[in-house]
Parts: sequence; C-alpha cells; structure tokens
Amino acid sequence: MKLSDLSIGQSGVIKKIHAKEPLKSKLLSMGITRGEKVKVLKHTLAKNTFDIEVGNSSIALREEEAAQIEVEKV
Amino acid sequence: MKEIKIALVGQPNVGKSHLINSISGATLHVGNFSGVTVEKKEVEFERSGYKIKLIDLPGTYSLHPYTPEEKVTKDYLLNEEYDLILNVIDSNQLEKNLTFTWQLADLGRAMVVAFNMYDEYARQGGNIDTDKFFNLTNIRAQNVSAKEKFGLEELFEKVVCAYEERNIPKVYYSEIIEEEIENLKEKIKECGFTKRFVAIRLLEDDEDIYKIVHEKPWYSEILDVLKAAKERLRVEYDEDDTKTVMFEERFALSKGVVTQIAKKAKKETVTEKIDKILIHPVLGLPIFLFIMWAIFQATFNLGSIPMDYIDASFGAFGEWVGGLLPEGVVKDAVVNGVIPAVGAVVMFLPNILILYLGINLLEQTGYMARAAYVMDGVLKRFGLQGRAFIPLVSGFGCSVPAYMAARTLKNPKDRLITMLVIGFMSCGARLPIYVLLVSAFFAPEIQGNVMFAIYIGGALMGLIVAKILRMVLFKGEPEPFVMELPKYRFPKLKAILFDLWIKTKMYLKKAGTFIATASLIIWFLSSYPVNEKELSKIPKSQQQTYVLEHSYLAQIGKAINPVFEPLGFSWRETVSIISGLAAKEVVVSTMAVLYNTPESDETSKELIETIRKNISFATAVAIILIIMFYSPCLAAMGTFWAEVPQWQWRIFYTIYPNVFAYIAALIGVGLIKAFS
Repeated sequence: MKLSDLSIGQSGVIKKIHAKEPLKSKLLSMGITRGEKVKVLKHTLAKNTFDIEVGNSSIALREEEAAQIEVEKV
Repeated sequence: MKEIKIALVGQPNVGKSHLINSISGATLHVGNFSGVTVEKKEVEFERSGYKIKLIDLPGTYSLHPYTPEEKVTKDYLLNEEYDLILNVIDSNQLEKNLTFTWQLADLGRAMVVAFNMYDEYARQGGNIDTDKFFNLTNIRAQNVSAKEKFGLEELFEKVVCAYEERNIPKVYYSEIIEEEIENLKEKIKECGFTKRFVAIRLLEDDEDIYKIVHEKPWYSEILDVLKAAKERLRVEYDEDDTKTVMFEERFALSKGVVTQIAKKAKKETVTEKIDKILIHPVLGLPIFLFIMWAIFQATFNLGSIPMDYIDASFGAFGEWVGGLLPEGVVKDAVVNGVIPAVGAVVMFLPNILILYLGINLLEQTGYMARAAYVMDGVLKRFGLQGRAFIPLVSGFGCSVPAYMAARTLKNPKDRLITMLVIGFMSCGARLPIYVLLVSAFFAPEIQGNVMFAIYIGGALMGLIVAKILRMVLFKGEPEPFVMELPKYRFPKLKAILFDLWIKTKMYLKKAGTFIATASLIIWFLSSYPVNEKELSKIPKSQQQTYVLEHSYLAQIGKAINPVFEPLGFSWRETVSIISGLAAKEVVVSTMAVLYNTPESDETSKELIETIRKNISFATAVAIILIIMFYSPCLAAMGTFWAEVPQWQWRIFYTIYPNVFAYIAALIGVGLIKAFS
C-alpha cells in the first residue's frame, strides 16, 4: 500500500520508493529508505499534506509524494 | 601565522550557524559566494598558533544536490581550495547525518566531525564514544554543544591535530562495492580528484563527475567496467538504480557504526506534543493566523509607545543644534531639512524591530517550518508550494533576504513566481508610511486591524497574482513539497538580541547616511530657487510656502503630476511616492520635508497632524495602495536582477508592479468616491 493510505497514528515499513530523480535522492537523503519504519503523525484536514516520522526526524510532504512511497502496514 | 582553511558542512538544522556564533574571539565576515547571492559567512580566529578560517557552506542533505543552494556547497567542496572539512552532525539524528558524512569521507580530504547538540542527547540518556568513532573511521570527532558552549575548544584542538597528522577518513563499504571500486580505480587516470572518489561517484551516477570524466581521454576505457559494476550492484541489491544502492549502503553503514559508538537516547516527545496542537488538522490554520495577527498588533501597539520619546528627543536635538549654528543656509538645511527627516524615519525603529523580532522568533523556534506545512494546502491552490512560504514571510522583513531565501526552491518556475510576488509582502521599511497614514486617518481602536488588513491584503493579492502567473506564463505543476520539520527549540536570547542590534545599527546607519543625504537633496530642491524680488512682495508668514511652491522639486512634481492627478495627488505626494523607489524610508522623510510648513512646529509627531490636514482620505488610501504594490527599493530591485539572469523577466519585474499599483489605487479612489 501507499504511505498516503495510512491514517494518523498508523505505521508502516518502507518497501520501495517509486519517485523519480531528483526527488528520489532527496527522499533517500532524508532517511526515507527501504526497510525504515514510518509513522503518520498528522495530515491536514483535506489530507493534502502529511507529517511523517522517520528515524528521529519528522518530515512534511504532500499527498502526491507520499503516494510514491510504498509501505507495508505494521 | 599558518592558516587552516576549513569548509564547514552539515545537513540543514544541525546548528551550524549556532556553532559559529559560539566560537569566542572570532571575527565574522559576511559576503557572497562568487557568482551567486548565497550568503557566505567566514569566521576567523586563532587557536594553537594557527589562524583558523571557517567557511560556512549552505546546509545540504547529500552530495546529490536538490536545490541551487545545495549545489553551491557541492561546487565549493569539489572546486575550491581548503585544508580540512568540518562536518557538523545533530547527535539526535546520527544515522541520517552520517550518511552524508560517508559521502564527504569519499572525497579523501582531512576531516573532523562535531557531534553537535550533544547536551540534549546526553540529557535523554544518550552517549557517543568519539574515540571508537576515530578508531573505526580515522575521523577525529568531538561531542559539542554550541548552545551550552562545551566541547568547542577541544573540537578545534582536534581540528589542528587532524590537520597536522593529515587524518584522511578510512571509510569502507561492503565487499561487493569495494571490489567494484577497485576495478574502476585501475581504469581511472589523473583527473584532479582521488581515484576512489571518482570511482564511487561514477557508481552512483553523479552527473557533475560524469561531465568531468567525459572530457578525459581514458573515458571510453572505463565504460565497460562501469556498466558491469553497476549491473552487478543492481542485481545484488535488488534495486532499479545504483544511486539508491549507495544510499542504502551508506544508511546501513551508519546503522552499523552507530550501534558500535553510541548509546541510544530516549525519544524526545516535547516536539510531538506541541505539534499535536500547533499543526492540528483543524486548529492549525486559525492558530497560524492568530500568531501573525498578534505580531502585527504588537508591531503597531507596542511600537507606538516609544515614539513620543524619540520624537521629543529629535525635537530637542534640533533646537540644540539650531542654537549652535549661525543663521543661514547651513542651519536651515540641518534644522529644517535633515534633522526632522531623519527623526521621522528613526521614530519608526521600534515598530520595525518588533516586526523583525516576530519573524526571527518564528524562525528560531522552528515554527516557520510548521507554518509552511500548515500553509502548503493554501499555497498549492495558488500554484505555489509550502516552502515558498518562508521567502514570502521574510518579505515582510525585507525583500532583499527574501529574494535570496527563494533559492531554497528548486524549480526555476516556482522560484520566479515566488520572487515576482515577494514585493507584495510589505517590507519593514514600508511600515513607517502605513503607520503615519493609518494614525492620521483611522480611529485608534481599529488602527492595529487596519495594519493587519494592509499586510494580509498585500499578501492575498500576491497569491492571486501568483495564481495568474502560474496559469498564464508558467504553466506546469508546482515542484514537490518535502521538508523537514525541525525540533522546537528555545530561541537563544543572545542570538536574537545580537540580530536586533545589527538591525538597529544598520537602520540607524541608513537613516544617518542615505536618508540624511536624500532628505538634504529633497530639502535643497524644495528650497531653491529663491526669487528675492518676488519674495519681498508677499507677507513673511507665507514666504516659505511660496518658495516651496516655486521650487525645483515643485516644478518636477508638477511636471509628473498629471499622471497622478486621477488619484487626487498634489505634487507633494507625487514626489514622495517617486522618492520611495530609492528606499521606502525616504517617503516619510520626504513628506517630513515637504510638509514642514511654518504652521507645523517641525517635530515628527506633528507630521501626522499636518498630513491629516493636507491630504484627503481617498488620497491617503491611494498612497497606501501604491506603497503596497509598486516596485520595492533599488537595493531589492538590484538583488532581483542579480538573481534572475533573463532579461524578459527583469523587465517584466521592473514594470508590472507599478502598473498594478496604479490601477489598484485608481480602483480604490473610485470605490471611496462612489460610496461617500
């Protein structure tokens, strides 16, 4: 499933990043890599923007970007 | 004395600039990187018999740059001369930060690591063994806290040590990758970098290195080896591209090293708790608007308190100087021209400082990134992205740094749109004009709200223009929005006071030099020529008015005035507005000179009264509208020109705000006339 399909408070393990370069490198360099655990901390009312937790940092990204991150719900 | 030149690098939000500010006995130079307007901070100080020079490079997540600013860092690291790399790391985010450290290590240069924010990490029960880190990587490291000023002296001892012993990092990847690096190294000949570095960068598709290697005669010989190597890595790691393989490899290496050197800290949860409220799905936006509203209220209400004192001081100062100088032109110029004008500008210093303080606090506490998150949905509707919020808000302080802040936007279209509307965010220098006119024409209870409306109105109009630009001139999708939300931090009082002090100094300097000169010129142009014969015929009390009405300035103003006549401007307003193109502060100082008629007693607070008597409400609104939208000052325009190389956009930028402002003012005046 996609990261953008998770609800607030749910977590998943990253399976694959489908984004194209250079966005892919950007995501990878921020610690969004295969095998890492992500948690959706918050999203805006219309689910436009997400606040996710990866490692020890929290990262804001849009629904479009979150949809390019494949996760397995845990 | 021998100099050690150090490239200071790190990911964003690791407290690099904080570290620079905490070095004792250091002198700071601020300049630009050659060819670009990214701020370049250089710090110099002496330690252990060396002159140490730190070059602060823009924060970057990796050596695969994403924004133009990150590119500056990479270009510097690849092309410039330096002796050592000092890599700053946030101890609370070891794994992520170390992935960048390994990339730097590949460069094969002497290197030292500073584990910054160690105080927080240790307080949560964390611990880093820097000796072990040195044993594993041959990189000397030191735990430091820029905030609590510990470890800094030891850090520079290690820097000197690493410099003298030339501690080149020894960081190795897994066997397969190392094998392929060795295979490639055999084929790589001289090219200015270490063979290892070139091999690694080729493996991970670094285009900059590709370009360099492409020119070399031995390029064709490596192609087969490179292709085979990449193929092997893709298969072994089950990934589509080798860039990802290398990212994963470095991440795994980080994890391995961290388990050996660090005792994990408990998770800090304060930020999460604060965020539960501040970026709440429903409450987030109203809270954001409330914070902005509060800043503008404070700017206006608190800022007006010291006004009377400043005003009185300048009045007294003028009288004192007047008493010292002999009667004549010089006295006239100083007492009637320069002092009231400079006073009128200085009077607004408290307002400006409060506004800066507000923006500074948003930045330092980490709320600014949240605001970008909260606003992203709104900005997206206008064809922008959340990150554009930061340059836009900086625009409320000053357009010059705002244009530079737009560099964090990667996509050139997004950047240009943002830069084209930054001018609609009213900068601090425009504040005095608003304060003057709003104080003169609106009831005290609603003045704060009128100010807020002016700022919000300008910002909204900017967004609408951005949307139009996006639809008409810059078709296409906005760039992706990915942004780290840094931890909340208590702002550091010293840093904030220092910043405000710098702002005060710059403002006063500008008032004392540029504004004083401008008002002297305005005074001269408004006091000459004097026709003594004509003058003697009219009563003394009307003489000054007569001179002004026949001055050079009046002639110039009257020549241009037909353009502004539909707005109800007299030549005085016309001249004031046009002088604002040099700097917005000049508008108020010009008004101070032009309305300095004998009836007023020459003090700044009186200016408000004089303005009320001389300008109609509709004209005041027209002035406000023009100030809101027309071209910013010369310094800002210069910055835009430096940042945007295309002529068509430079010309567009120089013309369209003025047309827009004029039309807006016409509509404003029309509406007021229709409803009154």
